[in-house]
Amino acid sequence: MNVIRKTLKPMSISLAVIMFLIVAPVHSVLAVMIGTEAIMDSVRGQEAREHLRQFLARQDVQKAFIAQGIDPVEARARIDSLSDDEVIRIADQIDRLPAGGGVIEFLLVIILVAFIVLVITDLTGATDVFPFIKSQR
Amino acid sequence: MLLLGFLFNLLAGCATFRQMEMPSLPEGLPASHELTEVPFFSQEKYQCGPAALAMAISWSGLPARSEDLVPEVYTPSRKGSLQVAIIAAARRHGRLAYEISDLESLFPEIAAGYPVIILQNLGVSWFPVWHYAVVVGYDAARQEVMLRSGTTFRKIMPFGVFEKTWARSNYWGIIILQPTQLPALPEEKAYLSAVLGLEKAHRFEAAVSGYRTALTRWPQSLAARMGLGNSYYAFGDLENSEYAFRETIRLHPRAGSAYNNLAQILMERGRYAEAREMARKAVSLGGPLQAVYRQTLKEIESKMSQ
Repeated sequence: MNVIRKTLKPMSISLAVIMFLIVAPVHSVLAVMIGTEAIMDSVRGQEAREHLRQFLARQDVQKAFIAQGIDPVEARARIDSLSDDEVIRIADQIDRLPAGGGVIEFLLVIILVAFIVLVITDLTGATDVFPFIKSQR
Repeated sequence: MLLLGFLFNLLAGCATFRQMEMPSLPEGLPASHELTEVPFFSQEKYQCGPAALAMAISWSGLPARSEDLVPEVYTPSRKGSLQVAIIAAARRHGRLAYEISDLESLFPEIAAGYPVIILQNLGVSWFPVWHYAVVVGYDAARQEVMLRSGTTFRKIMPFGVFEKTWARSNYWGIIILQPTQLPALPEEKAYLSAVLGLEKAHRFEAAVSGYRTALTRWPQSLAARMGLGNSYYAFGDLENSEYAFRETIRLHPRAGSAYNNLAQILMERGRYAEAREMARKAVSLGGPLQAVYRQTLKEIESKMSQ
């Protein structure tokens, strides 16, 4: 058994090295082109952030933040550190708000702000509600 | 927190009221329109997906048969076709699968000559019977919609019933386009997503065509121009790829990725000095992809020292 192992191990290592040399390209072309999907994701992320910024600038939204005990300026700073995915998720919800300022919109804004607050506090580790948010602690 | 999400969706749903009547058509749209020449493929058992796609693809100028699409579209274990499979199959045939997802979009597309593949639930919510059909016409005066459906060449549905069955799929619908075509109501994200799908399906020439079409409508789109450059590159047309990226940096002087990709092309064409200049510019612009830009620069520099 030992004899077999003693011969097989160096043999397998040499085999692995030889195989690597065969398959490794002599002239290695690394994939350094930025793919279209990556561009689209990043454009989408930037547009979502802009959307979110406009939302936070609204008077009724700022009031809702204050009502939940969060300083809107602080909220803005925390939101800037959200990942693209998280921002896109929130921006999508903002898109679904009806216009017109009715009662339903008012309620929806409050709920959405509550959601954002939870996302922010999850970020600091104060809460741990959403699995998709990794605490920065 | 699930509660919050649930509440939000519930209230947002209430805010949009159920339509029992056809929505009023936008100005300029005819009160009724029917695409009578759309071919009909009768479905085999469960295979409404392949049949619907065959009809729409044939209409787009590419003769297709239901049987040929079955292996690409139909999932035997589910006795049906997944929406993503239909989209993927369209792409493999070099066609754009452009998604629409609201009621109002249907009529302008029909009026423009595009039949719409829709997913509807012909059963009830607790016992759904999902079905793909192709909408080929509407009539506002009679409040009716005309479809190619199942084994019926021309099925007429009262609008209320149609709306109810279609609402259950959240008004999911797709139109099949040649990459030189735009839908009647072109939406940038949806269109670019459809063209990206062609690129990912390795239909690079079709993707080139699609991105060019996108640029006629959205000439400032960074993603479309980068997509154009990348697609040309993917099938080896370095000259047109280079031109596309040069246009990109001209129009978007702070797009690091454009400089990066241009650098790569210049390197492959043997123009190392200029490649290095572009790569350095990308690195200096920074951003989340800076590590990749550095990699490109390193590779160019190592080539120059050989």
